[in-house]
Amino acid sequence: MTRVEVDRDRCISSGVCEHLAPEAFELDDDGVLQLLPAEPDPAVVAEAVRACPSGALTLADRAH
Amino acid sequence: MSAPAVPSGTDFGISIDDVDLSDRTFWAQPPEVKHAVLDLLRAESPFAYFAEPVIPYLPVGPGYRAVTRYADLEAISCRPDLFSSGAGAVSIQDMPPDLNEFYGSLISMDDPRHAKIRRIVAKAFTPKILQGLVGSVQAVAEDVVAHARRTAAEGDGTIDVVADIAAPVPLRVICDLMGVPEEDRAMVLQQSNVILSGGDPELIESEDNAVAAFLQAGELLAGLMTRMAVERRARPTEDLTTALVNAEVDGERLTDQEIASFFILLLVAGNETTRNAISQGVLALSEHPDQRDRWAADPGLDRTAVEEIVRWTSPITWMRRTSTQEVELSGQTFPAGTKFLLFYAAANRDPAVFADPHRFNLGRDPNPHVGFGSKGPHFCLGAHLARREIAVTFRTLFEHLPDLEVVGPPDRLQSSFVNGLKRLPARLAR
Ligand code: HEM
Ligand code: SF4
Repeated sequence: MTRVEVDRDRCISSGVCEHLAPEAFELDDDGVLQLLPAEPDPAVVAEAVRACPSGALTLADRAH
Repeated sequence: MSAPAVPSGTDFGISIDDVDLSDRTFWAQPPEVKHAVLDLLRAESPFAYFAEPVIPYLPVGPGYRAVTRYADLEAISCRPDLFSSGAGAVSIQDMPPDLNEFYGSLISMDDPRHAKIRRIVAKAFTPKILQGLVGSVQAVAEDVVAHARRTAAEGDGTIDVVADIAAPVPLRVICDLMGVPEEDRAMVLQQSNVILSGGDPELIESEDNAVAAFLQAGELLAGLMTRMAVERRARPTEDLTTALVNAEVDGERLTDQEIASFFILLLVAGNETTRNAISQGVLALSEHPDQRDRWAADPGLDRTAVEEIVRWTSPITWMRRTSTQEVELSGQTFPAGTKFLLFYAAANRDPAVFADPHRFNLGRDPNPHVGFGSKGPHFCLGAHLARREIAVTFRTLFEHLPDLEVVGPPDRLQSSFVNGLKRLPARLAR
């Protein structure tokens, strides 16, 4: 399955990922990015990883 | 419908040796001409060198490189350690220190300071918080459009799309956000015009006075904000000013000076940009009636349509970076201290990234445009708000002013930095 990781030191709380995939990403009230437990469309998640302006997101492919 | 043939620089009789991007009058030309020149530069001289425009009383710097390829622009933008914003991101000249006091905000800052301030203000700009503002953007747009209808009815049936629609929407949204009192709003509009005029002669009385006019505008706006900050500390409200005076990261808060600078940045970054996206969006729709009809009939097109308007209009033509050490780009070496202008307007029409780049296509998807900036920590803080404002404004126009018809040529701003319209005459047929 596709898993995504966020580097919170790099994240600038741009919300670009949330804009593209609100089912997977959410900035909380403090502007800190939270990964939601939903199982989103891998293509959309890959697009968010590509579009993240700060390079804070990485895909970690895990074989189960 | 077939896309119009795209002229190249040579079709306009332009040779690369005649091009001077530092000449203000170049930027008041129609977009076809400007894009033909940017295409020529991208194809033949992707790091073209230009001497700096001369501004009275400011020392003339070493000149700059015009970055026109998408890939080079991204490579620069995503390495803030090698390409700094701190020497000034919004002017070709390095900022004189006295201007830095008012204009030295986020956008011209490097880490670690940038990261700290950005984290504080980002708290107030999350998609969720902005979602809560949708209603107010809608109310502002409806009010502005109703007012435009009255202006036309009471006059000769015409309006100015810039003054009557595109300018008031973002200004009122930001003033509402910040909680600016009604009686101060005319001053706020006027002074933010001065700041973003890029020295356009109509907006600044005399070029000799550009620096003085900038300073005065900064002082007036900072004065207002300082007053508001004091008031909100005493009596907190729901607005962004209250959030800013209270926002804290690692125990540190913004100083009054930082709040004032940030306010000025929001005004200039959030007003003219969105205004010019809206006014030139209206113009583009009038030039592409098939696209207009398609969008008006289908709210499902909002998402891609807004992105295409930002790509097409590229309201900010460039931002600047300065190399912090010797750097290599696409096999070329540049010394430390080289100024690079990142031409978003050119990258947004790069055929290596966009199929049929000179076609206005509201359904374009994917659309990885760099109108809000490319990768890196300075990516537009207001992108969600701007998208919302553009989508809501056009939907409101389709509903309430379906008879709006552009009747005259636009009057373009003479600025290399802001791609803007000063006026766009239109008629309301009903
Ligand atoms: C269509 C409208 C807009 C466009 C085209 C636009 C474009 C841009 C661009 C190109 C940058 C610079 C990125 C860089 O240097 O790498 C930027 C930064 C910024 N924008 Fe926008 N913008 C728009 C609307 C807004 C709005 C509505 C606001 C706020 C209310 C805003 C606030 C900012 C701020 C604060 C920054 C500086 C961020 C930083 O340096 O960390 N912008 N914008
Ligand atoms: S897109 Fe990147 S920088 Fe923006 S909120 Fe998501 S992880 Fe953070």
